[in-house]
Amino acid sequence: MKSSVQAKRDTLNGLLFASPWILGFLTFVLYPLVASLYYSFCSYDAISPPHFIGLENYRIMLTQDPLFWRSLWNTLYMAIFGLPVSLAAALGIALLLNQRIRGISIYRTIYFLPSITPVVASSVLWMWLLNPQVGLINTSLHRLGISSPPAWLSDPNWAKPALILMGLWAVGGGMVIYLASLQDVPASLLEAASLDGAGRWAKFRHVTVPSISPVILFNLIMGLIGTFQYFTQAYVMTNGGPQDATMFYALHLFNRAFQDFEMGYASAMAWVLFVITLICAIVVFRTSARWVYYAGESS
Amino acid sequence: MASEMEHNAMALAPGANDHCYDHTVSRRRLLTFAAATGASLAGCGRHVKRGPTEIVYWTGWSGHELDVQRKLIAQFNQTHPHIRVVMLSQFGNSGYEKVRIAFAGGATPDVMSTVWADELAAYAMRDVLRPLDAYLIASHRDITKEYMPGIAKMVTIGGKVYGLTVSSSTNFIAYNRKIFLQCGLYPDRPPETVDQLDAAAKRCTAYDANGNFIRYGFRPSDLSMWVYPFGGSWFDESTGEITANSPQNLAALQWMGSYARQYNMRQMQAFSTTFGSSSTPNGPFYVGKTAMESTGEWERAFVERYAPGLSWGWFALPFPTGGRPQSTTLDGSIFVIPAACKHPDEAWEFLNWMTSHDAVKTFCWSIKNVPPLVSVSRDPLFQSDPLFRFTIPIQQGPAAFGPPPLPTWTMLKSAISRAEDSVMLGGEDPARVLNRLQEEAVRQLRRATEELRP
Repeated sequence: MKSSVQAKRDTLNGLLFASPWILGFLTFVLYPLVASLYYSFCSYDAISPPHFIGLENYRIMLTQDPLFWRSLWNTLYMAIFGLPVSLAAALGIALLLNQRIRGISIYRTIYFLPSITPVVASSVLWMWLLNPQVGLINTSLHRLGISSPPAWLSDPNWAKPALILMGLWAVGGGMVIYLASLQDVPASLLEAASLDGAGRWAKFRHVTVPSISPVILFNLIMGLIGTFQYFTQAYVMTNGGPQDATMFYALHLFNRAFQDFEMGYASAMAWVLFVITLICAIVVFRTSARWVYYAGESS
Repeated sequence: MASEMEHNAMALAPGANDHCYDHTVSRRRLLTFAAATGASLAGCGRHVKRGPTEIVYWTGWSGHELDVQRKLIAQFNQTHPHIRVVMLSQFGNSGYEKVRIAFAGGATPDVMSTVWADELAAYAMRDVLRPLDAYLIASHRDITKEYMPGIAKMVTIGGKVYGLTVSSSTNFIAYNRKIFLQCGLYPDRPPETVDQLDAAAKRCTAYDANGNFIRYGFRPSDLSMWVYPFGGSWFDESTGEITANSPQNLAALQWMGSYARQYNMRQMQAFSTTFGSSSTPNGPFYVGKTAMESTGEWERAFVERYAPGLSWGWFALPFPTGGRPQSTTLDGSIFVIPAACKHPDEAWEFLNWMTSHDAVKTFCWSIKNVPPLVSVSRDPLFQSDPLFRFTIPIQQGPAAFGPPPLPTWTMLKSAISRAEDSVMLGGEDPARVLNRLQEEAVRQLRRATEELRP
């Protein structure tokens, strides 16, 4: 039997080994987290000491800051329209790349490559592709006979669709995860379905999708979190313009904090974003019981 | 000392300390050696203190302008043996955010030129900058006599001087003489009033058969600047009131809006961005896709670099009847000494030298900027140059305006640019937009004032 002294020592050793992580977590995660919650109730410019103003930041945000609502809508737009499109595109490409044909690993590499390109670099590249007059996209549209193609990033109505389009180029990350799960779809089930006379679509709909549904859920949640933090592309390419069409929540938050000396307000925005993301994630999780199947579960 | 070391090494070598006597001696020697080393190291420490004081300077300049500054600093270090200036470039997108974070953490260098004129009031009012008045008096300097009036005013916040400048620039309109001639305009008689500007812009605009732009005359942008030729302003210092929706400001925005009604602004913007930004070889002005462009002294260097053959001229910002002739805004990098500076006296000595007649003359002439010092602007070197002969009177005149001394100016400036977009691209009513802007600006200022109140 282990003596209690030994058990204590083991615990201490364990904690000691984990201490680099624990210290890092306390210093770089927990403290800033708690501090930002406190600052969200303060008027704080990051230079002078903060002073408590209660719910004032939240009141201003909800009642006096039109850009808050605008940026929230822009971000939700990306979640509602952009995210499903990119999830579907990733799955579509994964299905195509799940074929047994010669040189498939080369195709897989090609489709994955864009997602390891730094976002800033790909954003600059896409600024050229989306250039209304000389960009590759509009030049091609001209060739196809479309006389006045959209001005993309210069047009408030087309700026967000342009960013969604650009996002499709970098779906490689999600695609790889789909691909891995597609290879785990039980061949026995697919075979059984075939014997029962199921066509391609029926097999996809009733065997493949349920089998990979946990992975769809994972990609959906990660995509949701990523979309709510959409920042770099807008910061690099449009800086929120034209006419605030690409003023996303995180960009507005960043500008408030680092351009306007409103660190307290920015902290409040960050907590509101956290709550919104949390609610969305909970809703997705709750509804997932209806469409996500785990192996071993009876359906 | 070398022989002593050898000796000790020998004494410590195995076999050398067979005798107890030798052993003790060697140990004693070792202690002596250690003590001697310690003493000499301590001596080194004292030596460092007697040597030059090192001050750290953060610069906001880059490229060839940075090279010029580097040469000046080498000259300063050579002529001031008791100070050594170490320059660190903070140029780039994140440079200015880094500056803000440095102020927040009290981790600022001794001197910095990485504060924009737009931000000076915000920093000064937060007490993170050292007022320079006492130093100026001690050095027998009077900036109201040395600097151009607009610039002296710009660096004075609440009656105290918080920074000095070494260069400045002027807003004016550059025009393509060849296009003027082709369109039946006299290249030697460029527009003076906004009516003349509008007429010239219309004449120079050309479309293809499908109604797409081949060339546009002029695209007005930057409302924060255009209110000045119209007699407007953003802040009335005598009353402490925001004046965003004054009749003059409204006239300026209505005038800009008239372009949005006359031309397809989205198409014009798309067309103008096609050729890259104005600081690239494909900038619309350099490839003849626009007849006129709002710019500054830097234009000359760009023309030399990107379109050496371009025949171009310049004219002051046009104004309406009853407006302000020869107006310009002032901005740019400001040299400041942060409150947390560790060597303020040495920092001042450096700043004093950098803003002296000779240093400013060298710097401004090398980078072809307007000298902010009156004495340098009168120098034959600058007076012999036609562009400087044109811009210096504007800089020195009564219509040269620095940023309003508001702690919320950067915030207001981005709100102004959004207001401009809603009129130019969104087709909104200028009066409504400015009223909204006024409300927002007043609210921001009230909040900041409450926050800054001790």
